[in-house]
Amino acid sequence: MPPKRKRAAIIGIGAVKVGRYPERQESELALQVIRDALKDAQISSRQIDGLFTTPDLQGNIGLQTNLLCEYLRISPRSMAEICCGAIAGGLTLKYAADEIQAGRIKAALCYGAVREGSIGWFKNLSQGKGWSMIEPTALQPYAAYGIIWAYALSARRYMHETGATEADFALAAVRNRKNAAGNPAAAFAKPITVEDVLRSRCLSSPIKLLDSAASLDGAAAVVVVSEEAARDLSPHPVYLQGWGLHHDPSCVIPTDNCSTSISHFKATREAAREAFQKAGIRPGDVDVAEIYAPFSSHELIIPEDIGWFQNGEMAQALRKGETEIGGRIPINTDGGLTSRGHPWAATPLYETVNIVRQLRGTAGPIQVRGAKVGLMHCEGGMMNNGLVMIFGRD
Amino acid sequence: MTSKPNFLKPTNLESPGAIQFWEGLQEGKFLAPRCKHCGELFFPPRSHCPECLGDSLSWEELSGKGFLYSWTELFFAQPEFDTPFFLGLIDLAEGIGRIAARISVKTAEELHIGMPVRIRISKPGEWMALYYAEPSDPGS
Repeated sequence: MPPKRKRAAIIGIGAVKVGRYPERQESELALQVIRDALKDAQISSRQIDGLFTTPDLQGNIGLQTNLLCEYLRISPRSMAEICCGAIAGGLTLKYAADEIQAGRIKAALCYGAVREGSIGWFKNLSQGKGWSMIEPTALQPYAAYGIIWAYALSARRYMHETGATEADFALAAVRNRKNAAGNPAAAFAKPITVEDVLRSRCLSSPIKLLDSAASLDGAAAVVVVSEEAARDLSPHPVYLQGWGLHHDPSCVIPTDNCSTSISHFKATREAAREAFQKAGIRPGDVDVAEIYAPFSSHELIIPEDIGWFQNGEMAQALRKGETEIGGRIPINTDGGLTSRGHPWAATPLYETVNIVRQLRGTAGPIQVRGAKVGLMHCEGGMMNNGLVMIFGRD
Repeated sequence: MTSKPNFLKPTNLESPGAIQFWEGLQEGKFLAPRCKHCGELFFPPRSHCPECLGDSLSWEELSGKGFLYSWTELFFAQPEFDTPFFLGLIDLAEGIGRIAARISVKTAEELHIGMPVRIRISKPGEWMALYYAEPSDPGS
C-alpha cells in the first residue's frame, strides 16, 4: 500500500462549459471557476496560500499570478505560472501537491483559463514566429498551421504497425461524443456515427475533422489541500495516490535519430509505470480514466501505452465496448478532447474535474458505478512528455 | 518525375546552425554537420552538437537516400502551398535522423511505408531553395 502520510487531496472543483466566450476576459473566466471551486471546497479565498496556473498566451505572460493575487486579495507563499506545453495544467497539480507534501503550504488553487483557444499562437506559427517549437530545419518548411500533420504521421505509422483502420479511430470519436451527451460542460453533444466521422472533411490523412479536438475557450480550477486538512474540511476528498512524469528526448516529431517510435510513446509508458508504482496499484485497478488524446487515433495509442492493452489491441477493445461506461476501463467519460472540447491549457484540469466527480459519485449520467480509482493523463508536444496521476477515494 | 516543388522562404534563416544548411541547398547540396570535437555526424543541423555540445562544426554532404517511415496527405497548409499534397517522414539512409518533406507522388497508392526515396533539391529561384522527396528508381 502507498504511504498514507502527507498526501495531497482535491476538495474543490470548478469548470465552465467548454465553448466560445468572446466577450469575456481570461481573468473573468478564471475568477468564475476559482469562485466555484472555493465554494465547492467550502473554504474562503483567505485560506489559499498557493497559486499555480497555466500559460496565458493573450498578453499577460508571466503576470497572471500578480493579477489574481490582487483580484482575490490573497498572499500565497508559493506561486508559479507554469509553461511547459499542454502538460502545464497537470503540472500545476503536481507542483501544488509537492508544496503541500513538503509542508510549505496548506491550500493551493490550480487553475487554467483559455480564451480564443490557441488561434493566435497558430497564427504566429504560420508566420514563422513559432518555429523554435518545432525542429526548425528538418520539419519547418511544412510545419505551419499547427501540428495535425505530425499526429497524422503518427496515426499512419500506428495503422501500419497494428493494422488499425480509420473506422477503428472513428469508433473512439463516436464513443467520446456519446459520453459528451451526458456531460453538461461538453462543447459537442449531437450524436455522430462512424460513417459521419469517415465522411467528415479530411485535414491531414488519416485525420478528419470529426477525429479532431476543437480548440475552444474554457476554464477550470481545483483546490488542493493536505490529507489532514481534507479530512477536516471535506465530506468527499479525492486523494492523489501517485503520479509519474517523463520527458523523452524529442520535440513533436523525433527527428534526430531513426529509432524513436511515433506509434507508441515512451514518455507515456514511463509516466504510467512510475504512477502505478507510486500508487501501489496495477493498470487493471483503475476504474475510470481521462486521457489527453487530441485526435481519435491517439485514443487507441495512449491506452496501450498506459498498459490497459497490448500494442494493437485497442481497436478490438473499442469494437467490444471495453472503454465505454460500464466496460472494462471507461475512458474519457466526459467526452474527451474531441467532444468535451479542448481549451488546451485547461484541458488537464477539466480531466481532473471529471475524475473527481467520478470518484465522488456525482458525475450524473456519465457516472461509472462504484468508481474508486481514477487516472488522469496529459501530455505536451506530441506525447514527447507525459504526466499520469492516480486519484483515489481513500 | 516532373513534380514542381513548392517554394517557401524558411523562417529560421538566422537560426544558428541552420544557415550553412540553407546555403548548402542553394548550392545544390544536402548537408549535415559533423562535430569537430567528438566527431558526431548529426541531423537536423543545430548550433551545438547534441552529443557533446561542441559548437565547432564541419559540413558533409549526405547521400540524400532514405526510407519512407510514414506519410500523410495534407489538405491545408500555408497559402504558399498548393493543397492537397503528400508529406513524407523519411529516415535518412545514414541512420542519423529523420526529415519531413513533400513527396512528389500524385496518389496514395504510390506510397508504401519502407519504400526507398531520395531527397531532391529544388532549383534556387526567387525564394530560398527547399528540398522535397521522390520515390527512388528501382535499383538506384
